[in-house]
Amino acid sequence: MVRVAVIKFPGTNCDEDIVRVFRELDLGVGVENIWYKDFRGASWDAVIIPGGFSYGDWLRAGAIAARTKVMEEVREGVARGLPVLGICNGFQILVEAELLPGALLPNESGRFTCRWIRTVVERPRGPWLTLVPEGSKLDMPVAHAEGRYYVDEVTYSCISSRCPLLRYERGWNPNGSAYDIAGVGSEDGSVLGLMPHPERAVGVLTPRGFNPGGEAILRSIAISLRRGW
Amino acid sequence: MPLTPEEVEEIRKVLGREPTPEELAMFEAQWSEHCSYKSSRLLLKLLPTGGSRVLVGPGRDAPAVEVFPGLAVVFKIESHNHPSAVDPYNGAATGIGGIVRDILTLGAKPVALLDLLYLGELSDPHASWIARGVVKGISDYGNRIGVPTIAGDTWFDSFFNRQPLVNVACVGLARVEDLVGESPRPGDLIVIVGNPTGRDGLLGSSFASKPLGEDVDTDIGAVQVADPLTEKLLIDSLAELVRRKLVRYIKDLGGGGLTTAVSEVAAEFNLGAELDLERLHLRSVLSPLEILVSESQERMMVVVEPEKLPEVVKVFEKYDLQYSVIGIFKGSGRIVARYRGRIVVDIPSKELAKPRAIRRVSKPPAEALRGLTPILELPEVSIAESVLKVLSSPNISSRRWIYEQYDHEVGARTVVKPGHADAAVLRLDAGDRRGIAVKGDANPRYTYLDPFNGAANSVAECFRNLVAVGATPVAIVDELNAGNPEKPEQFWYFEMMLKGLAWMAGELGLPVVGGKVSFYNEDHLGRQVKPTTTIVEVGVVEDVSRVATMDFKEGGSAVVIVGTTFPEIGGSEYLYRVHGLEVGEIPRPRPSSELRNSSLVLELIRKGLALSVHDVGLGGLGAALAEMAVLGGVGVEVDLEKVPCRGCLRVDELVFSETQARYVVEVKASSVDEVLRLARQLGVEVAVAGRTLGSGVYRLKFGGTVAELPLDALRTTYLESLESSFR
Repeated sequence: MVRVAVIKFPGTNCDEDIVRVFRELDLGVGVENIWYKDFRGASWDAVIIPGGFSYGDWLRAGAIAARTKVMEEVREGVARGLPVLGICNGFQILVEAELLPGALLPNESGRFTCRWIRTVVERPRGPWLTLVPEGSKLDMPVAHAEGRYYVDEVTYSCISSRCPLLRYERGWNPNGSAYDIAGVGSEDGSVLGLMPHPERAVGVLTPRGFNPGGEAILRSIAISLRRGW
Repeated sequence: MPLTPEEVEEIRKVLGREPTPEELAMFEAQWSEHCSYKSSRLLLKLLPTGGSRVLVGPGRDAPAVEVFPGLAVVFKIESHNHPSAVDPYNGAATGIGGIVRDILTLGAKPVALLDLLYLGELSDPHASWIARGVVKGISDYGNRIGVPTIAGDTWFDSFFNRQPLVNVACVGLARVEDLVGESPRPGDLIVIVGNPTGRDGLLGSSFASKPLGEDVDTDIGAVQVADPLTEKLLIDSLAELVRRKLVRYIKDLGGGGLTTAVSEVAAEFNLGAELDLERLHLRSVLSPLEILVSESQERMMVVVEPEKLPEVVKVFEKYDLQYSVIGIFKGSGRIVARYRGRIVVDIPSKELAKPRAIRRVSKPPAEALRGLTPILELPEVSIAESVLKVLSSPNISSRRWIYEQYDHEVGARTVVKPGHADAAVLRLDAGDRRGIAVKGDANPRYTYLDPFNGAANSVAECFRNLVAVGATPVAIVDELNAGNPEKPEQFWYFEMMLKGLAWMAGELGLPVVGGKVSFYNEDHLGRQVKPTTTIVEVGVVEDVSRVATMDFKEGGSAVVIVGTTFPEIGGSEYLYRVHGLEVGEIPRPRPSSELRNSSLVLELIRKGLALSVHDVGLGGLGAALAEMAVLGGVGVEVDLEKVPCRGCLRVDELVFSETQARYVVEVKASSVDEVLRLARQLGVEVAVAGRTLGSGVYRLKFGGTVAELPLDALRTTYLESLESSFR
């Protein structure tokens, strides 16, 4: 069976949710919660860095976790093409580790914001978006205080023509992100980071008027790995 | 509160000698009102606490009830009123930390938080500062430890401008077989894990057991500082210890610190303890006295058999948690504490743990007559304008500004989220259809005007909120926020609230499995804040995919009113917001109607006949219908002449009466006959009083139209009133 590691740092709090959602969707993938001290990169087919407050968000969200030894291993994996997904704090860590472009700043409102939002997917590619057609609308909840994506114009023109993007639908940007960006991938899509939580956007958890946008992403990685990504 | 001369005399008698300074400090902490319940203990015996579902009743750090075979809910409430008045951010945050640790002591996994906030008027700068700090404190702490804040209650009132009530509750889940609570035995090790102990929160429970000083800055040292990251690591490491069955007993170091933790366990199990205080890991150099009574946060006591210590230590080291093995339980019945070999404390644990209960004098004040004042003449007012005014009240309008600052989704259990229904609904686990519903309620105005009936109504309101989502209520925890127990006219409110709670809980068949008492909620002028009974209830949900929310689902449905309306506008939100009056007889508690009417609502939800359900509470029928319309984006028209009522003489009584035991239910036009048949069977008075509309209009008729409002205006009022007062 293919195996996915969910890396847990001190303060990570969405690790168990991810393990349980794989079980709930019956994805046929082995998922394990791995304490950051115990992670060895070579033995996994994909890595998920979950949400939470690694190291209590001290300094900046994700800044300390990004500089741990385990992220060196993740970086080496990425060089080999290892699929890596960063959700919320995981996205912040990937950006801090410069595995994805841009930065995540405090929300425009100055407050933590937890609410359901709508996103649209552009240029889906890579293992995390295999089952997601161009222009798909994925609804998910966000829950963060530092999720305002920032990127300079030059980088933006590069990523907006080459990389997978998730954008908040017009009127649904919860934090003031530049270009309404909710998530961004590497060019080949093997590394993906996003602020919304796919693991909270499945089945019965979806409120009336929204779609369970997380399911497509989770089913994508399962099918990609089983096909041999 | 320092010890009284009589108490010091009693301590001398117990010890047969002069107490050491360390011993005196321990007695002061442990005999404080906060830790000992000395003023309330005799009355608390009135509460019904037993029941077939009760696994652990009052007495432990938290109670447990069996919600499904083999599955327990552990839940508890706590107040952090005094710390939040002095340092709102840390006061509220450490309240969350403390209540979560109470849940951990039974080995449960914390899965939900509730915050019940009784705050000052936001137009007052000091009250606004407190309100913002409290919400931010809960947000920062709750979010960081990964426990969703999913429900609560908020009230704004000038009585709370200086002294807010910050009540927080936590709900945990555990398999019954995993509940921790073996008896510690002589020879077991006392391990303290978590934050190093510092000078913060010295004698904090003693501080919480006296009125707020005029200059609150002098009390700042009694407030603790919050460290959610360590709390999160405690949660994770204890989960591992419990799963691997490595601990015998767990206790929070909360109010009273090390003193309370050790003495309560020793007393409960007829044990003694020997402590070497210099072994405790510290943040700075502390005297033995300070070590004994510091209330530094994020610390727990773990009782471990000696042979399991190496494994326990490995778990703490994995999570980079600091710990120290500071002592051992003994069969001696005495607590002996040494500091660098010198004995500083040697006292019998039983005497320390439980001071003698005090019988307080109680006397109704003249002010209590406000609750009996008849409301005779009210000026005629526009119903439409009144609906808007009531809906704009911060006690009714959407709390979105608050709950969006809380991560209410973490845990991936939250099926019914804040703002969608009368209670929150959690599934037990991913893929599990079973769930629980939780809600907390209070009405400070009711308990102020009539503490007995007001407290009873809080129990009933919470009961209805659970029923409205389709949950069967099973147990209660309560927080009684009262004034100064040494003043008979304030103690009377406490006594009446407690009796009202005990009566209603008994009538509804709900055990009060745990709770807290908070006294000395007086402002700096010695005026008690509105005495408030806060109730948190847990209900069982058989199938989380068949619960009801309160948003109207579609046009063309029938609007069914369940229950009879009485002319009860005394103490109502309408009377206060529109007429500026805070007097009158509050709505009568009606337990038998509650039981009967709830049976119908539960049946309608179970059968899938209810499209939406909302209980009628604050703001009456007028507010309930407006909320359902706004949240669903569906218009509504109700003919008030069809609303079942007795004795109502005026239209505003029909619209704004807060009579208990009522619900609004939306049902498909095609199922009206079946609904009426069921109601007849159960003997419940119901009426189809209106319908939902295809257009965006809210209309109330009585003969002609008495109120007509565009939904857009209602939506703006409902969703943005609170937010704009925080701007």
